[in-house]
Amino acid sequence: MDATQLAAVLAGVVLLASMVSVELGISVALIELTLGVIAGNLFHLNANQPWLVFVASFASIVLTFLAGAEVDPDDFRERFGASVSIGLVSFAGPFIVAWVVADGLLGWTTRASLIAGTALSTTSLAVVYAVLVETGLNATRIGKLIMSACFVTDMATAVALSAIFIKPNAWFPVFLLVSVIAIVGLPKIAPWFFSRYGNRVIEPEIKLVFAVLFVLMVVADQAKGHAVLPAFVLGLVMARHYQRHRTEQERLRVVAFAFLTPFFFLRGGMNVSLGAVFANLGLLAVLFAAKLVPKIGLIMPLAKRFVPKHATFTTLLMSTGLTFGTISSLYGLNAHIINRTQFSLLITVVVLSAIIPTAIAQRWYSPDVDAEHKAAREHYETIKPQPEPVPVGDNQ
Amino acid sequence: MTPYNFTSVLVAVDGSDGSRKALDCALSIAQAVGAAVTALAVEGKLPAYAASVGEVDEVKHEKDQFFNDVLEHAKDEAYERGIEIDTDLVPGHAAEVITHYAKAHGHDLIVVGHRGHFLGDYLLGSTADRVTHHAHCPVMVVR
Repeated sequence: MDATQLAAVLAGVVLLASMVSVELGISVALIELTLGVIAGNLFHLNANQPWLVFVASFASIVLTFLAGAEVDPDDFRERFGASVSIGLVSFAGPFIVAWVVADGLLGWTTRASLIAGTALSTTSLAVVYAVLVETGLNATRIGKLIMSACFVTDMATAVALSAIFIKPNAWFPVFLLVSVIAIVGLPKIAPWFFSRYGNRVIEPEIKLVFAVLFVLMVVADQAKGHAVLPAFVLGLVMARHYQRHRTEQERLRVVAFAFLTPFFFLRGGMNVSLGAVFANLGLLAVLFAAKLVPKIGLIMPLAKRFVPKHATFTTLLMSTGLTFGTISSLYGLNAHIINRTQFSLLITVVVLSAIIPTAIAQRWYSPDVDAEHKAAREHYETIKPQPEPVPVGDNQ
Repeated sequence: MTPYNFTSVLVAVDGSDGSRKALDCALSIAQAVGAAVTALAVEGKLPAYAASVGEVDEVKHEKDQFFNDVLEHAKDEAYERGIEIDTDLVPGHAAEVITHYAKAHGHDLIVVGHRGHFLGDYLLGSTADRVTHHAHCPVMVVR
C-alpha cells in the first residue's frame, strides 16, 4: 500500500473514530488507539511509513505543548506543597518500581526499562479533568489539588523523557540555548505578533507556534534528545496568554485534533501486536501491578494527610494514564529502545490504567459534590481580603 | 398525601422528544393541582478517558449551551401557560442526579421522558428505568 492509499484508509478510520466517539461518549483518542489496533492487526497496515512517523512525531510534540498550555497557574499555586508532594511521589514511585521490575524481573535492557518506568509513571490530567468536570468537582479544593498534582507528575515525566535518554553531543548547548530562547521569547513576542497578524483565516499565530515547535524538534534531534520538555514548558509559559485569548487556543486545538493527533493515536494502536499481548498476559499483569501498586501504596498515605475524606478517590485518579504514557512508549519504539512486544505491553497497560482506576473511582469513591462546593465556599470566604477601612472624614 | 395531591414536581429535561412530552405533562399536572415545578437538566457524559483537557472543555462548552437552551425553552413553555418554574443545570450521571436532587429538594413527583438521546440508553437501559428503581417518590414516565 503506497502513501496515498494508506492516508485514504487512515482518513476513513479517523472519521469512523470521531463518529464512534460521539455516539459512545468515549474520548476520540481511546477510540483511535483501539481502531489502530484493529486496523494494524487485521489488515496489517504499515505503521512505519515515513510520512506517518513524521506526522505522529510532530503530533506528540503539539499534544505536549497543548498539555502545558492547559494548566491553570493559579490553581497550582493554591496548594503548592500538597500538589508537589503528591505529584512527585506519583511519578517517582512507579518510575522506580517499573524500572526495577522491567530490568531485574523481566530482563529488559536498562534503556528499555527506563522507558517502562517513564511510560508507567504518568498520570493523565485529561482523564482526571473529565471526571472532575463531569461531577462538578473541578471548582472544589480537592479538584484543584488533584489537577495540580497531575501537572507535577506530567512535568516530572517530561523531565525524565528529556533528561534520561539524551546523549549529549556538540549540539546539546544549542538545543539548550534554543529552548531557553523559545521559552523566554515566545510569551514576550506573542501579544504583539498575535495582535499584528492574528485573527485571520491564514492563522499566522498557529504557524508561529508550529515553527517554534519544529525548530525545537530539529535541534533536539541533532542533540540526540527529545523536545518534549521544552515543548511542555513552552505551553506552560503560554498558558496565561491563552487564558486571555481562548479563540487562539481553540483554533490550535482544532488543527491538532482534526489532523495531527488522530495519526499519533492511530499509529500507536497500529504498532500494538495483539498476539504479543495475549502471549504475555502474565507480563502484562506484572507491569500493570508495577504501575498501580506503587501509585496506590505511596500516594494513599499522602492523600490521607492532605485530603483525608477523599484519599482513595484522589489516589485512584492519580493512578490513571494515557497521553504521556503513549508519548513515552512511542518515543521508545521510534528510537528502537523497546521492541514491538514491549511497546504492545506498555500501551495496553497505559490504556488499562486510563480505564480501570477511573471507573472504580467514579463508581465507588466519588465525593459528595454538594458538600465539597460548600467547603470550597467556606474556605474562600475565610481567605477573602477584608476591605480597607475608610479614613474618617474621607468618606464622601 | 393522596396520589393526586402533589405539591412539588420535578421534571427532567434533555431536549429529546420524550423530555418535551414530560415537560408538557409536568406543567399540566402543576397547573391542575397547583404544584410548584422545577425543570432539571443533567449534564453528563463528557468524553470518558480523554487525551486532552481541550477535548473535555469543548464538549463541556457545547453541553452548557445546549442545556441552557433546553432550560430556556422550558421557561418559555411554562410562561406561556402562566406557570412559575424553577430551572437547574447539574453535572453528573442522569439517573443518580435526578433521584438525589428530588430527595434533597423535597419533590414529591418526578416526571421523566421515556427515552433520552444516547445510544447507551438502548444498550444499558434508559434513564427512566433507573429513576423508577431508585426514586424516593412516585415517578411518571411519559411516552
